[in-house]
Amino acid sequence: MNKKNGIGAKLYITLCFMFFYLPILVTMFFSFNSSKSLTHFTGFSFRWYEKLIHDNSIMSAVYVSISIAIISTIISTVLGTITAIGLSRSRKLLKEWILNVNNFPIMNPDIVTAIGLMIFFSSLKIEKGYIPMLLSHIAFCTPYVITSVYPKVRRMDHNLANAAMDLGATPFQALTKVVIPMLKPGIFAGMLLAFTMSLDDFVVSYFVTGNGVENISIVVYNMSKRINPTINALSTILIVVVTVILVCVNVIPAIMRKNHKSTGMAYQTKAGTFGRRVVLASGIVLVLFIAGFSFNMSGAGKKVLKVYNAGEYIDKTLLDDFEKKYNCKVIYETFDSNESMYTKLQSGEKYDVLVPSDYMIERLIKEKYLQPIDWSLITNRDNVIEHLWTNEYDPKGKYTVPYFWGGVGIVYDRNVVDEKDLEEGWDILLNEKYKGNVYMYDSERDSFMIALKSLGYSMNTKSKKEYKEAYEWLIRQRDTMDPVYVGDDVMDNMISGNKAMAVVYSGDGAYVINENENLDFFLPDQGTNEWCDCMVITKDCKETTLANQFINFMLEEDVSEINEEYVGYDSAVKSTYEKFRDDYYLGNNACAPKLDNPLNETFRYQETELKQYCASLWTKVKSHQK
Amino acid sequence: MKHFKKLINPYIVWSFFLIVVPLFLIVLYSITKGTSTLVNITFTPEHFKKIFEPVYLNVFFKSLQLGIITTIVCLTLGYPMAYIISKASESVQGILILLVTIPMWINTLLRTYAWISLLSDNGLINRLLSVMGIAPAHMMYTDFSVIMGLVCDLMPFMVIPIHTSLTKMDHSLVEAAADLGANKVQTFTKVILKLSLPGVISGITMVFLLSISTFVIPKLLGGAQYTLIGNLIEQQFISIGDWNFGSAISLILALIIIALMRFMNKIDPDEKGGE
Repeated sequence: MNKKNGIGAKLYITLCFMFFYLPILVTMFFSFNSSKSLTHFTGFSFRWYEKLIHDNSIMSAVYVSISIAIISTIISTVLGTITAIGLSRSRKLLKEWILNVNNFPIMNPDIVTAIGLMIFFSSLKIEKGYIPMLLSHIAFCTPYVITSVYPKVRRMDHNLANAAMDLGATPFQALTKVVIPMLKPGIFAGMLLAFTMSLDDFVVSYFVTGNGVENISIVVYNMSKRINPTINALSTILIVVVTVILVCVNVIPAIMRKNHKSTGMAYQTKAGTFGRRVVLASGIVLVLFIAGFSFNMSGAGKKVLKVYNAGEYIDKTLLDDFEKKYNCKVIYETFDSNESMYTKLQSGEKYDVLVPSDYMIERLIKEKYLQPIDWSLITNRDNVIEHLWTNEYDPKGKYTVPYFWGGVGIVYDRNVVDEKDLEEGWDILLNEKYKGNVYMYDSERDSFMIALKSLGYSMNTKSKKEYKEAYEWLIRQRDTMDPVYVGDDVMDNMISGNKAMAVVYSGDGAYVINENENLDFFLPDQGTNEWCDCMVITKDCKETTLANQFINFMLEEDVSEINEEYVGYDSAVKSTYEKFRDDYYLGNNACAPKLDNPLNETFRYQETELKQYCASLWTKVKSHQK
Repeated sequence: MKHFKKLINPYIVWSFFLIVVPLFLIVLYSITKGTSTLVNITFTPEHFKKIFEPVYLNVFFKSLQLGIITTIVCLTLGYPMAYIISKASESVQGILILLVTIPMWINTLLRTYAWISLLSDNGLINRLLSVMGIAPAHMMYTDFSVIMGLVCDLMPFMVIPIHTSLTKMDHSLVEAAADLGANKVQTFTKVILKLSLPGVISGITMVFLLSISTFVIPKLLGGAQYTLIGNLIEQQFISIGDWNFGSAISLILALIIIALMRFMNKIDPDEKGGE
């Protein structure tokens, strides 16, 4: 410690920190962007900060994240520290056993820990939400505390504690006055780790949460569909707050120490400073908290409706309107795919209203998850586009009310793609002129749909032979075209013009075309997936009247207009659909796409065996190497 | 210190319910088949057999490879960083370590999105390059972008433990080595490196574990064709719904890691000197 660092060392460390902070600076920078893009800076504005203040879901997510991080850090630090101390005194066998068990949450992939905990909570019939999330966080934080404290315990001179007790200290005093101060660096490191892990956790929280309790990661994840800089604004604020707190914690004790010194009271030990810092930090955070506590206090004693919808698939102000109109409370949760929704239902989670897609509805009906709609309450039934009522997933029209609908097509850059090549339909995705210039959509169903349609088969084929051929089509594409399989990040990528074409859902296509005028959209002639998402009521729903009222509310003309403006997909409400087609999205080929091709189909229920066969083929496609 | 023996009891109960039982449920899933509920189960070894198909072995291999590369990069960049930090004065050290920690407080997903805007074909770095007259480089959806994202995300896990073991090192040993005529290189390799080995080992373990089980970063920066064990498990649980196979993969992953941990513990000088 006596040697100073040279210039080279300083330079190196600066470079390292630049590397660490580059993404954060970018995040902060784009929080001031006037447009939605995260790659193009179009102008300076505070609009995302303004939006953030009005976004209740983000503000309550901040509350959840921080309160869980603090409480779980405190509990796991205490639990972990006393365990580490006890551990060094235990028998060898027990010690090894505990250390091994302790290693599991650290080395298991998050998702395994998450699934284990999810099954655990649902088999105990513990209602998901804040408490299970807190328990899970403590469960995965404590091992980190133990691993950072335990080495210090072993290194510690055990005679000191014995000496303290010989001199008359009680075991508790020996612990707090002698042992713990010696372990200080380890405890502090463990605490920091625990806090960090908890604050940043996504996977575990995602699986064990429920009842509308969301932390920041879950909100960001659900936003990824239409990532918008509101969340950047949030991180900018968070980083400023964190920095301020840390500066306070580090500077105030130093000032205090100086004052003490000047009055001749330089008695403070290091341990005292440490304790003071912790107390100070908790104090600051606590004050912040009380300020934000009001979020949890509203809506007690009212009727409650639990709605489970895809991410970014509703204008949330409508939920407030509905709550006011019917004097109730809506708990709103989102999922990222039909499959994850199904997983959640299977795990025993209860909802009132769901918004799944066609094939998933068929499955839910078959497996008796749904209850019929009370048509006497759906007074706005006639607002819906007539032909959407005739479908195969709900042949008797008992369970479903259409919400949004559309097709799957290709969005392309007019400056790069030759109009003539569009005639190839889906086969344009095999045209080597565009090698390395194609985004595929990371969806098993839609990828196989494309291959099957290109080969002239039905996308609902039950023939394994045809699936095998489709698989070969996809492998050929991977070998010759170097496509990139993307999720919803495809939108920002296309808006930024990173590649020439991408497979997208029509509503997303409409959105990207709106943001980048070089883009256009087409539906291949070989036919495509004509999908429809519907509102359904689950069997577990107790507030059936309210659930039906909610569905009816979403069909109101002015409501659906507000909703379409936010979501950007084609509404099932006729007047809204026509208005957007002829006005806002006029000339945008991805809005109201011509879905009159007889080759178009809608996805149907797949038998388990076939589903698993496709799944394994899809895994092979994705992990294929040349 | 005998009195402190009992302190371990709460954690025994806690870890049984929140670690052992969930893990047991996963083991149960991995050796059974049929419904996702726990009624009518039949035992079967088929999920483990399935893992040995070439496709899945390939995924395992690729994950291990990526984990090793990420760990090596983190170690080579992180060790000097930790070393330099440990040589600063104590108050500066505190600040530097906090600076290492702060990025971890900002959401990983968000930081990863920021990498996308930096690395994409029309991204910030490429635009900077073109302003300087350098041909743009294709960086997104490659090994490079994935490793970049992982290193940026995981490096603190390397730096902090190494720094910890460097600071708790007895400096009189370093001075003794110098007094006894060791040059700087010798002092470093024979004394400092050896004494910081526990930190290096826990750093390596941490980074390696996190990098082979991650799925969000490879998915966002490498594209979905970048299938790793983490992605495979996620797919089984979320999109495919084959919890049994997913559990089997997780179990194999856990076993590989236990084996590696055992190996690492053997190297760790701390373990040998146990009571």
